Amino acid sequence: MKIVAAKNILKANDQLAAENRARFDAAGVFGVNLVGSPGAGKTTLLEALFSRLKGRLRPAVIEGDIAGSIDAERMEKIGVPVVQINTDGACHLDANMVAMAGQELDLTTIDLLAIENVGNLVCTAGFDLGEHLRIVVLSTSEGDDKAVKYPAIFQGSDALVITKIDLLPHLNFSVERITADMKRLAPEAAVFQVSAVRGDGIPQVADWLAEKCSRKAR
Amino acid sequence: MHELSIVEALIDQVGQELDRAGHQGRVLRLELSIGRLSGVHSESVRFAYGLLAPNTRVENAELVIQEPKAVCCCHACSVRTEIDDLVVQCPCCASSDITIEGGRELLLQSIEIED
Repeated sequence: MKIVAAKNILKANDQLAAENRARFDAAGVFGVNLVGSPGAGKTTLLEALFSRLKGRLRPAVIEGDIAGSIDAERMEKIGVPVVQINTDGACHLDANMVAMAGQELDLTTIDLLAIENVGNLVCTAGFDLGEHLRIVVLSTSEGDDKAVKYPAIFQGSDALVITKIDLLPHLNFSVERITADMKRLAPEAAVFQVSAVRGDGIPQVADWLAEKCSRKAR
Repeated sequence: MHELSIVEALIDQVGQELDRAGHQGRVLRLELSIGRLSGVHSESVRFAYGLLAPNTRVENAELVIQEPKAVCCCHACSVRTEIDDLVVQCPCCASSDITIEGGRELLLQSIEIED
C-alpha cells in the first residue's frame, strides 16, 4: 500500500523556525540572518554596525562556525552578548541549533539578534532560522558574478551588503553589475556599499537596520 | 553534507508518517520530488541515503526521485520556457520582466509499504 505524504522534507525545520520567530516576536527581538562566504567580512560588518548602533539598540549575536570561537571572542571583546554554535562539520545553521542557542540568551534584554551563519553561499539558503530579515554579505574580492552563480541565496535575501569597497581600485569588480543582478533576483532588496575599515556606508546600513527593527517593534 | 541533514530529516519524517498511519510493515519504496532549483543534488541525496538508511525503518527501501523543472514565464513575450537552472532573463526574448514558477520543491511524495 502507498501512503501519500506530499510533505516538505524540511517541514520539521520550518516548524522550529516558526517557533523561533514567535519566541523572538513575543520578546520584541528582531532577528537577522547574516549569510555570505568565509572571509566576506560578516563579523567585521557586525563589529562596525554595533559600534555605530551603540546606545540605540541592544544587540546580541549567535555565531555559527564549523569549529572554534574566534568570532565569539571578537564579539565579547566589544561587549556584545554572544553564543557560539559549533556545527561540527555541518555547512549551515538550522532552526534547531538557533533554538538551543536562543535559550542561552536573555531575550528580554535584546532588541537586535544577529545570527551569523556558517560561511557558505549554498547550503545556508535552504534553512529558515526564524529570522525577520536575511542579509547577504559579498566582498568585492569575491567577484561581481556571484549573484548569477549562487542565485538562491541572493534571491531570498532582503539586502545585499557589498563589503571591502576600499579595494575597488585594485579589482575588476563592477558594483553596477552585481546591483543589477541583485535587483533582478530580489527587486525589493536594499543594496549597500561599505568599507568597514574606512567606515563608508556603515551609517546607512545601521540606519536601515534600526528603522526595520523599530518598525517591527511598533 | 547539506544533503546528509536533509536525508536525516527525511528518515525522521517517514517514521512519523508510519506512526501516524499505524504501520509496522517494511517500507518498499520512497518517492521524493526534488526540484531543479531546490539547490539539492539528487545524487548526493542517494549517497547520503545509502549511508543513513541501514538499521532504520527505511532500510532496503528503494528511493525514487522526480526532478521537476521550473518554468520561466515572460511578461514581455508571453513565452513559457522550461528551465533547469535559474535564469535572470527570458531565454526567448532576453527580457528581465519574468517570473519563475516551480522547481523549488523538496517533498516526500509517497511511502510504499509491504501489505
